[in-house]
Amino acid sequence: MSARAVSFSGVEKTYRRPGLLGASYNTAVKDLSFEIPAGEVTGLLGLNGAGKTTIMKLLTGLLFPTAGSVRVFGHSPSDAAAKSKVGFLPELPYFPPQVKPGEALAYFGRLSGLSGADLALAVRTAIERTGLEPHAGKRVSEFSKGMLQRLGLAQAILHKPELLVLDEPVSGLDPLAIHDIRGLLAGLNAEGRTIFLSSHSISEVEKLAARVLILVKGSLALTVKRAQWEAAPGGLEAIFVEAVK
Amino acid sequence: MTRARFFLPAAALLAWGAGGFAASRAYRPHFPPPSEIQVPVKGAAGDMFSLALGTRRLFADLWFIRLMQYYGTREKPLAGEERECAEHPGERHHDHHGLNGEGLYPEFFSRARHILELDPHFASAGLYAAGSLAFNMDRPAEAEALLNFGIKYAPREWKYATLLAAVGYSKAQDPAAVARTITPLITDKDCPVMLKQLAAFLNKKAGDLAAAAVIYADIAATSRDAAYVDNARRELEKLSKKARRP
Amino acid sequence: MRLLRLTWAVAANAFSESVRHRFFTLFFVFAFASVYASVLAGVMAVDQEARVLADFGLALIELTALAYALFNAASVLLKEAETKTIYLVFSRPVPRWAYLAGKLWGALLTAGLMLAVMAAMHLALLALRGFGVPAFYGWALAGAFLKLAVITAIAFFVSLFSTSPVSTIVISGILWTAGHFASEARFMAERVPGVAAPALKGLLWLIPNLQIFNARDAAGAASALPPAAFAAAGAWMLAACLGSLWLLSRKEF
Repeated sequence: MSARAVSFSGVEKTYRRPGLLGASYNTAVKDLSFEIPAGEVTGLLGLNGAGKTTIMKLLTGLLFPTAGSVRVFGHSPSDAAAKSKVGFLPELPYFPPQVKPGEALAYFGRLSGLSGADLALAVRTAIERTGLEPHAGKRVSEFSKGMLQRLGLAQAILHKPELLVLDEPVSGLDPLAIHDIRGLLAGLNAEGRTIFLSSHSISEVEKLAARVLILVKGSLALTVKRAQWEAAPGGLEAIFVEAVK
Repeated sequence: MTRARFFLPAAALLAWGAGGFAASRAYRPHFPPPSEIQVPVKGAAGDMFSLALGTRRLFADLWFIRLMQYYGTREKPLAGEERECAEHPGERHHDHHGLNGEGLYPEFFSRARHILELDPHFASAGLYAAGSLAFNMDRPAEAEALLNFGIKYAPREWKYATLLAAVGYSKAQDPAAVARTITPLITDKDCPVMLKQLAAFLNKKAGDLAAAAVIYADIAATSRDAAYVDNARRELEKLSKKARRP
Repeated sequence: MRLLRLTWAVAANAFSESVRHRFFTLFFVFAFASVYASVLAGVMAVDQEARVLADFGLALIELTALAYALFNAASVLLKEAETKTIYLVFSRPVPRWAYLAGKLWGALLTAGLMLAVMAAMHLALLALRGFGVPAFYGWALAGAFLKLAVITAIAFFVSLFSTSPVSTIVISGILWTAGHFASEARFMAERVPGVAAPALKGLLWLIPNLQIFNARDAAGAASALPPAAFAAAGAWMLAACLGSLWLLSRKEF
């Protein structure tokens, strides 16, 4: 296994929007270079529109870079070898309202290559680990936002990925749910899984991450290690505010 | 990379062309060309739908229903009282002209031809219409034109040619030959009941009451047209009375 | 084997989504009511009731299945992109061709089920009226299925570049009607003078001739579908799938 889980090298992503009088271009990230060490929790902070989700999608092969290269465990993110090692939780995941969590997870498990007894075990384990067991008999339409987020996390960990890419994993959750999710992520990291998460909640990132990347207008403004923000007066928040001003 | 980018669209176009080639091998035109579809009848312009939806047979069915309704509507209203009838001295009844299918019905031919323009294989409709024209309305030329149209676009449909021959014998005033010629038609389950009734009538006229009775019995058993069934039962009653007379 | 299992997983999911969809249930109700209405038309046709009943029912079955197939094909990919379900699919090792194949497979299973159930209802009605199964019935259904398969594949392709489900349905519907006009169009192309004739003939190659599958209409002549018809259906579907894959492989989410 590569010591680097993720590597961005001179990455640029420009969106092209066709219009009546010609196309318009918007560069979401430019000349972006960073690495995510394997086995660490790395946070991604930035204001709205900074390019956080773009980075997440470049990592998971949903977007293709306009320039530069992205590597996930040494492979292109579009390769099956990379995707089989990645678990992705997008912001506000959607599941068909009439299914039960087990059915939804079974579908995504099959897409991850699981089948038979392995699939059944993976589904059971994911439901237990995300605290969905009391709600396993309900349909998704009856789920609260917190339960949906847990289900989203469940589908991300189903196939025991080496890298978890989480876009706003605690967005809109109550404090108890946040505590549970944080515990789950810490446990997964303790198993050796790499976690890359983006969030608007600086305090959450502070509690989990070993390093934080601060993104400003599509460029990497700062990389901060835990020791740095713990030593800084005002902590990570002060560093972040200073970086984005 | 450039080669890979153009491979898929090129392969798609090739496959599409192959599909077109296979289709040209598979296609057999079963219907008259659009130049044959005339619009002399009100509402026929709507038949574009029949072509667009691939439902020619269905629209031919609807036009057949409309033809039967048109032909089933008396041209002259029933008189209010029963009167002495000049053609049947001593009897009093309502004006019976049109009860046996006589009448002008000026749109009959164009409506009938329209059915075959949509579906020339609708033999029952073609036989019904041509039989009505030739034997009820005394318009053999139109009957022949209709049957010739059917033969042109459904050349395997032997029934059109058979009825055409019968119309020829009818013009030659040879009812026995007419009855003989249409016998193969009336054994077909799709034979229009009016042809069966004609065959029965001709057999009765020629003195072959047994043959007439068989045909009337078939009409009574198989037809769903109440008027023909009632008539068949009445005729069977008359024939059985004749048979019982010493 | 793994890829086949993957494709089947997408197909089974697409099929079960269709079956659960309330809109799908409404079509069953509509189809039943429509087929029953055909009974009334059959009664008006008196001695031709069997034919009218068969023609009416088959036409309505095909058009009902077409309406649902177009609605489904026009919206399924777009909906998965809008709800971000597609993120959860393509962040996994699912080849785009397997996803497309699975969606098409699921749509065809749905169309097949709809045809089968409505045909069963129709045949039950025919039996109730005392009529047997028309000789051309099996071929009529086979032809309807092939037509639906071709137009569904085309609708998936169109949905990948059109701006909305409505425009996809409209474009696919136009191709459906044009496909039934193909023989008439060819007749007219042969009579057009000058350079317009080859240009028009070339354009006709872009339209699938759906009349070759119209066993329902050709019943009076010869209803059996020749092997070339199956080959044509397969080729057109493959072409639409390759075109869809070309668009999907370049698509970002």
